[in-house]
Amino acid sequence: MRILIVDDSNIIRARIARIALHPQLRKLNIVGLARNGVEAIEICRRITPDLVTMDLTMPEMDGISCIKKLIDHDSMINILVVSALNDKTTAIHALKAGARGFLHKPFSDEQLVSALIEVMN
Amino acid sequence: MTDLNESELKVFVDAVKNYFSHLTSDAVLIRAAYLSNTLISHHDYTGLITISGRFRGCVYFSAPARLLRALLHALREPDTSEDNLLDAVGEIANTIAGNARKHFGTSLTISIPVTIRGVPEQIKSAARARSFAIVLNWSGYDATVIVDLAPVDSFTS
Repeated sequence: MRILIVDDSNIIRARIARIALHPQLRKLNIVGLARNGVEAIEICRRITPDLVTMDLTMPEMDGISCIKKLIDHDSMINILVVSALNDKTTAIHALKAGARGFLHKPFSDEQLVSALIEVMN
Repeated sequence: MTDLNESELKVFVDAVKNYFSHLTSDAVLIRAAYLSNTLISHHDYTGLITISGRFRGCVYFSAPARLLRALLHALREPDTSEDNLLDAVGEIANTIAGNARKHFGTSLTISIPVTIRGVPEQIKSAARARSFAIVLNWSGYDATVIVDLAPVDSFTS
């Protein structure tokens, strides 16, 4: 499965990329890293990922807007939101927009592995 | 609307404790929490989140480079360049403010982080006459969270 990592933090992008190498996620192949929604959409025009980890609070284009555009482009895409916004309303908005899962920051390696496996399945 | 109360301030204390305890094996010690004077000193790097909505103001996280390098090491991040120290301080501020939405809900609108390098001599409290300062210690290093928030109606009354 091809995974695209979207987050405006260098550290978070790198951390998710490292965790994606976990033995339980060996099916995953990282195909792109994006710093905001605009970059994510640009990458998705060239490569259709199967799975996207999506931050919400980002410059240029926020995560919810990006999720809607990605779902319009490919309704089968699996999107896991990874965000510090931990209120219920935001989670509901993300899921209504088309996300398949929601993981709150800060997250442990194990929590991300579990969340990715759940969304992939 | 009332001012921030004790339980609302505890939301920010809990958020910073949760951040470090979740990501590292070292717990955070809260060394002090107090109403600071109008002028606040900061550490080497500061991440600033602007708040709008029901409250107006800023939440800052300010830390020395040594704390941020130790955190990156704990996260197995080999790149401890200045760009990543700035990134780290912004991400911590973002997570503390974002986690506060569990209590405040969507009425707390948070910006993307602005990061400041160097030791600003002083940052003046903007929203309140006196900001709330939370001094913490993680892995032997002190850092500060500043909560400078006031209800929107306090600006109009």
